[in-house]
Amino acid sequence: MSLDFSVLLRFQEALALGLWTTVKLTLICIVLGCSLGFLVGLSRTSPSAIVRGIASIYVEFFRGTPVLIQLFWIFFCLPLVLGVELSNLASGVIALTLYMGAITSETFRASLKSVGREQMDACIALGLPRRVQVTNVILPQAVLRAAPTLLSNCISLFKESALVSAVGMADLMFVGQNISNNTARPVEVLTIVALIYFAIAFPLTRAVTLVEGRILKKLAI
Amino acid sequence: MTSASAPLVSIRSLHKSYGPHIQVLKGLDIEMKPGERVVVIGPSGGGKSTLLRVMMGLEKIDSGSITFGGKPYISSANADAKTAINTDVRRSIGMVFQHYTLFPHLSVIQNLVLAPCKVRGEKKASATQRAQALLERFGLGGKANAFPAQLSGGQKQRVAIARALMLDPKLMLFDEVTSALDPELVAEVEQVILQLAEQNLPMMIVTHDMWFAKNIASRVIFCAGGVVVEDGPPEQVLGSPREERTRDFIDRVFHIKQ
Amino acid sequence: MNYTFDFNAVSLGPLLDGLIVTLKLTVAANIIGVVLGFPLALLIMSRVSAIRMPAMLFVEFFRCTPAIVQIVWFFYCVPMLFNVFLGSTTMGILALGLNLMAFNAEAYRASIQAVPREQVDAGIALGLNPLQRVLYIVLPNALRASVPVLLTNGIVIFQQSALVAIVAVQDLMYQAKTLATETYRPIETFTIAALIYFAVSFPVTQIVGHLERRRQVMTS
Ligand SMILES: Nc1ncnc2c1ncn2[C@@H]1O[C@H](COP(=O)(O)OP(=O)(O)O)[C@@H](O)[C@H]1O
Ligand SMILES: [Mg+2]
Repeated sequence: MSLDFSVLLRFQEALALGLWTTVKLTLICIVLGCSLGFLVGLSRTSPSAIVRGIASIYVEFFRGTPVLIQLFWIFFCLPLVLGVELSNLASGVIALTLYMGAITSETFRASLKSVGREQMDACIALGLPRRVQVTNVILPQAVLRAAPTLLSNCISLFKESALVSAVGMADLMFVGQNISNNTARPVEVLTIVALIYFAIAFPLTRAVTLVEGRILKKLAI
Repeated sequence: MTSASAPLVSIRSLHKSYGPHIQVLKGLDIEMKPGERVVVIGPSGGGKSTLLRVMMGLEKIDSGSITFGGKPYISSANADAKTAINTDVRRSIGMVFQHYTLFPHLSVIQNLVLAPCKVRGEKKASATQRAQALLERFGLGGKANAFPAQLSGGQKQRVAIARALMLDPKLMLFDEVTSALDPELVAEVEQVILQLAEQNLPMMIVTHDMWFAKNIASRVIFCAGGVVVEDGPPEQVLGSPREERTRDFIDRVFHIKQ
Repeated sequence: MNYTFDFNAVSLGPLLDGLIVTLKLTVAANIIGVVLGFPLALLIMSRVSAIRMPAMLFVEFFRCTPAIVQIVWFFYCVPMLFNVFLGSTTMGILALGLNLMAFNAEAYRASIQAVPREQVDAGIALGLNPLQRVLYIVLPNALRASVPVLLTNGIVIFQQSALVAIVAVQDLMYQAKTLATETYRPIETFTIAALIYFAVSFPVTQIVGHLERRRQVMTS
């Protein structure tokens, strides 16, 4: 068969719109998901067994089931449960935020744990008040150590966001599949769609390596 | 108020265990006078670090009490009772650890000014000035903006000492501060501590370096099995120990060293 | 909410049939991934760039694009490009297997390169030749270290296998979708399906956690 990539030129605008939806969805869910993840990560170190229990059930459940089924549940079941209509965007944001919250909470938890006991000893020996221990010693180190993994989590979210196409949200993947069906040129269209995802995700994975190197050098962990 | 001969630190029947089975300190009594430099020696696992950590207020105790400058500092009635620590008193004690424990995300100068600014509310400019002067004195003038990861072990340990001194401690605790260092870096750290000794800063030092112990101590305590076995001037404890166990220990350490 | 639950409306039969297909996909993809991931790891560590570059491109392509794009691409494009169609389950296995192969190659590479330099030095000091050093020191160390990651990747592919429902492979997810539409009981159906996925994943993640903790204790 012969390939003809020129068919895509007609759909530049549609693809750009789809990409914008993907990027917008990803960025919103990065902000919301990281905040949720930080709170959940903290909760998992809470002295209260109930708080810890709820946080772990949430994390384990979202890590233990396919994102696709989470998405279906939120698109088709949540409106029934709440008794309100949810827009596509709202459902997508809820689903991916919950996903992102679950994976980043593990990142934050690990980085909080990695700030060693000796650092706490040093804080006490210097007489630092609890608030200063958290804001000036623990938090900055935890965030620094979490940075590379958080960035990886963002890349995962970017990729998982393509799932919203399965519930009819017009993201890059959805637009691509539509064009592919209408033009009957799946090879050209789907390859280009894949390359667009790749062109964004790949440089970010390199950035993870860079950030990791910087932080390793700075903190000498 | 305290007179010159009143004890600076007074430790009374201190008991400390980790969990129900590991009894580390079994009734320790130590009295330390102002200006004294006490070197604590003893076999590994004998409870030296635990003693210093308790004195720094880092560990709970089972029973006993510690007073500092005549004021109650740490006390506990029995294993179930809470350990009461007077945090105001704790602020007048400084400690340097074996593994530096600098804050890796802060530069040298930031490590030094953090506590004075946050604990005492000192102005940043004045703290920075004092910190810079202290660094110059310890031969670290050029390292103010370096990060801990860029320093040698000896430099890190000198920064750690400077950081503790920023709070003008009335007592310094040193726990094997040269044990993690390469041999050629040991001297530069010991020099700094000897400098502090010249100013009569009271200190309690745990070390395995007998040369350093001889040179810095005004008094040596041999501690083993959670109790004080021998306590006296350095010439006596290190030179002609009375107790069999002290002699054994010193023989072993010196034979390896010489 | 004014929704009355009726879990009896959901018949487990089709879901369990779907689970069997899902497990088949998972096991077969894992066999491909675990076995072929290793030689692929050797290729991406090759010193010859003509070998390394294409291998790395393959791995990075799978790691840097959404799995759903890969699967849709595979189902639509492979038959057109190569003029073959192999039955949807086989296609699903191949698509998932190739994806897992890329992720596992990366896991093997990371654990081979994480073998401490001193271990190899000790081998040299003991007079082992290069082949012996690889066979007796590097590989045993590296393979043991890679087990938790391989298991994690395996369970991720179990979850990602739900994506083949989109291209009409009749797995657990597909059966759940169909049943939800037929019975008008989406909440019950999707909840039960999610619980089935969870019941398989959770024990494996617990085992991985246990293995990692044991490793940490051993190496510290
Ligand atoms: N955090 C801890 N938990 C349990 N046991 C400990 C802990 N810290 C020290 N120990 C035990 O207490 C004993 C005394 O330790 P330590 O005070 O470090 O001795 P030294 O500094 O004289 O070598 C040792 O047997 C050690 O294993
Ligand atoms: Mg010790």
